[in-house]
Amino acid sequence: MSGAKKLVCVVDDDQSVRRALGRLFRSAGYAAEIFASAEDYLSREIFEGAICLVLDVRMPGLNGLGLQEALETRGACEQIVFITGHGDVSTATRAMKKGAVDFLTKPFNDRELIEAVKRALEHSEEQLRKRGERQEARGRVDRLTPREFEVLRFVVMGFLNKQIASELHTAEKTIKVHRGRVMQKLGVTSVPDLVRVSQRAGVAPPRNPA
Amino acid sequence: MKNLAAPVRLAGLGSHPQTERSDALSFDWRVASIGLSVALAYYLGAKIGFALTLRPHPVSVLWPPNSILLAALLLTPVRVWWLILLAAFPAHLAAQLQGSVPPAMILCWFISNSCEALIGAGCVRYLIDRPVRFDRLGNVGIFIFFAALLAPFLSSFVDAAFVAINHWGGDSYWQVWRIRFSSNVLAALTLVPFIVTWSAEGIGWLSRIRSARFLEAALLLLAFLSVNTIVFYKLDPTADSALLYLPLPFLIWAAVRFGSRGASAAICTLTFLAIWSAGHRYGPFSTRSAEENALSIQMFLIVMSVPLLLLAGVIEERSKGATTLREREERISLAAESANLAFWSINFERRESWMSDKGRAIFNFRPDERLSRELFLPRVHPEDRNTVDEAIERARASSQTFESEYRLLRPDGDIRWLISRGRYVSRVSSMGELTASLAHELNQPLTAIASNAAAGRRFLAQGPPESKVFEELLADVAADARRAGDIIHGIHHFVRKGEGTRRPINLNEIVREVLRLLHSDLLGRGTAVETELAPSLPVVDADPVQLQQVLLNLLMNSLEAMQSTSAANRRIVISTTCEANTSVAVSVRDYGNGLPADDVDKVFSHFYSTKPNGMGMGLTIVRSIVEAHGGKLRAENVDEGARFSFSLPVIREPETREIA
Repeated sequence: MSGAKKLVCVVDDDQSVRRALGRLFRSAGYAAEIFASAEDYLSREIFEGAICLVLDVRMPGLNGLGLQEALETRGACEQIVFITGHGDVSTATRAMKKGAVDFLTKPFNDRELIEAVKRALEHSEEQLRKRGERQEARGRVDRLTPREFEVLRFVVMGFLNKQIASELHTAEKTIKVHRGRVMQKLGVTSVPDLVRVSQRAGVAPPRNPA
Repeated sequence: MKNLAAPVRLAGLGSHPQTERSDALSFDWRVASIGLSVALAYYLGAKIGFALTLRPHPVSVLWPPNSILLAALLLTPVRVWWLILLAAFPAHLAAQLQGSVPPAMILCWFISNSCEALIGAGCVRYLIDRPVRFDRLGNVGIFIFFAALLAPFLSSFVDAAFVAINHWGGDSYWQVWRIRFSSNVLAALTLVPFIVTWSAEGIGWLSRIRSARFLEAALLLLAFLSVNTIVFYKLDPTADSALLYLPLPFLIWAAVRFGSRGASAAICTLTFLAIWSAGHRYGPFSTRSAEENALSIQMFLIVMSVPLLLLAGVIEERSKGATTLREREERISLAAESANLAFWSINFERRESWMSDKGRAIFNFRPDERLSRELFLPRVHPEDRNTVDEAIERARASSQTFESEYRLLRPDGDIRWLISRGRYVSRVSSMGELTASLAHELNQPLTAIASNAAAGRRFLAQGPPESKVFEELLADVAADARRAGDIIHGIHHFVRKGEGTRRPINLNEIVREVLRLLHSDLLGRGTAVETELAPSLPVVDADPVQLQQVLLNLLMNSLEAMQSTSAANRRIVISTTCEANTSVAVSVRDYGNGLPADDVDKVFSHFYSTKPNGMGMGLTIVRSIVEAHGGKLRAENVDEGARFSFSLPVIREPETREIA
């Protein structure tokens, strides 16, 4: 609602249920789209933003749990709220273990559902934010030359300039220059910040030389 | 008469096993007094009969002696009937000898009159347990048919024959038969009920009657007499004949409020007044010849009295039934009271409950409080609450008896031990697994309605909404409410299972309806259903509920046949086709194991005997329903499965209905 992109998608084979749910989410101020089947949803282009899927468990074709599995491999950041007419414990457990935000039995309270959707969108946003940060950090790291990247890895591991110079068979002065460039390219001024950015970018430490 | 034992069945006079007692009784003064009063009544009756003739033609409109004889026979045990007849004989002689009738004719008349009374009384006593009362519809019907119609009908042949043999009078055989028949029917209908109801119980009951009843009776009598006086004496003979029915409301009043006693007395009064006035050339029955007048009076009175007597019988039967019920209830509640027992019943579906007063006192419920588990459980001792609740739930789930012993908390802190025994009586036990599926189907529209309503509220909270948005929202709510209603309608039909009515229907509708009912069941079993419905089908004449059951059973059968089919292949194809505009067929094709290679008849019985599933009736019943609709059921093996199909004949008119 705060300008950031958010979307609620309803996937239910019952037309009147999905229409009503779409309307309910719009009334709560969300953008909402409705889909008659899991396949329909999968053919939609991937949404770049926080997204909550309100998913019926029992559907013809690919059912709710099947769609949940299919989404895992796609790498988008959908968060799922399941709705079902049958409050069946084993299905609910399976869905929750795989990371569903909530599992609601029809007919449910609208506040309960909107609350769950709100939570799901928050999770999704969080995930999105982390991914954004990672990508941003990666982008910065990608600007480093191979030599600079190697220096970065040793710095992150806590090596001193002298040690790095001896590892890389070069002068300490050269390492100092490289290190200054790395700090500049990654936009940080202190070693702790450098470590944080590298972590976000997923820079693996070099093999233990010992 | 009270201590005379009552032989109920008609037996030969004197040959009844109880005759040894009749020797002692026959000399009893009470029996003698019966004889004497019969003789007196018979003689008076004959006198009245003579008085009620319309001159100049000597036709008696009403001939009481035979009816007096009949009433006497109905009131007395069979073994004293000979005495009644014996007592009536001198009275008969005394009455008839005053005219110029030859003795042979007098004797013949006595024989035919006795015949009539014996036939009527015999039939009635054979069919009705003594004492003969007019307080039941059945009794009144038996009396009217056998004693008032059949006996005069038969005895009039005898009587007319006697008249012909003796060459008495100038009338033809059929004239005599007709005159005697109608006057005796009228006499039996009007006099016998009056005599029997008024003399059966003596006059002891009079003292038990409240003064308000007396007042009402007097008022009725006064009003009745005045109306009759106006109708039969004051009215111009040429006045509108519809006015003749003015006494009817008062007759009904008498029947409704005073039962057979009131009705018979009122009919008697009406009869005498009507005939008397006609005899003195007053009123509506004095315009034509004596014979015609007599016949129209008789018709009028017979038509009035038959329904009235029946009405009185119905009313007494009902009030007696109510009294019996109340007495039984009182007896049971007295027994329950003294044994400290409470009775109760709760209908969970209709939310109705009943508990005996004693029970309400024990459980401390207010007299008008609606019973429920929520109201009942808090009164149970906390330590026993779970046990009791479980016992009820078990009984409810298994439709069996439950028994539970528990402590009850009284408001004053006392604890009482109780034993409760009950049974859960289910009305929908045959629904089986379908109920869950239907409940789910009902959940969908309810969810949609609730969500739409919530959305509406939120839109409103944000300020005046767009009318188009709201229009759509409300249309959706209405559609879902209708859908929920349709589902409930469907459940209702399934539960009722009763005789449906046939109407012209489109089989496509039946297919859609059944698929909607089974929707979630099919999803749950991971089975895809494809439909190939003919776009426009001629209608067939059928009971939609029964056809739904047929299709439902075929589908369940296919689902079961595919239990070992791999999930990817598990599908059913339902198609409807029209064959040469003369018949319509529905087929259900599965990808299951196929049918055993035996012939089709064995398949039907095989499935019937081996699959006792919750709601299936088996294919044998399916076939009988189809055949009852003039159709045919077929089963065949096809590639990778089986196909069941049934065809029904098309209604003759080339009328087609649009598919909804």
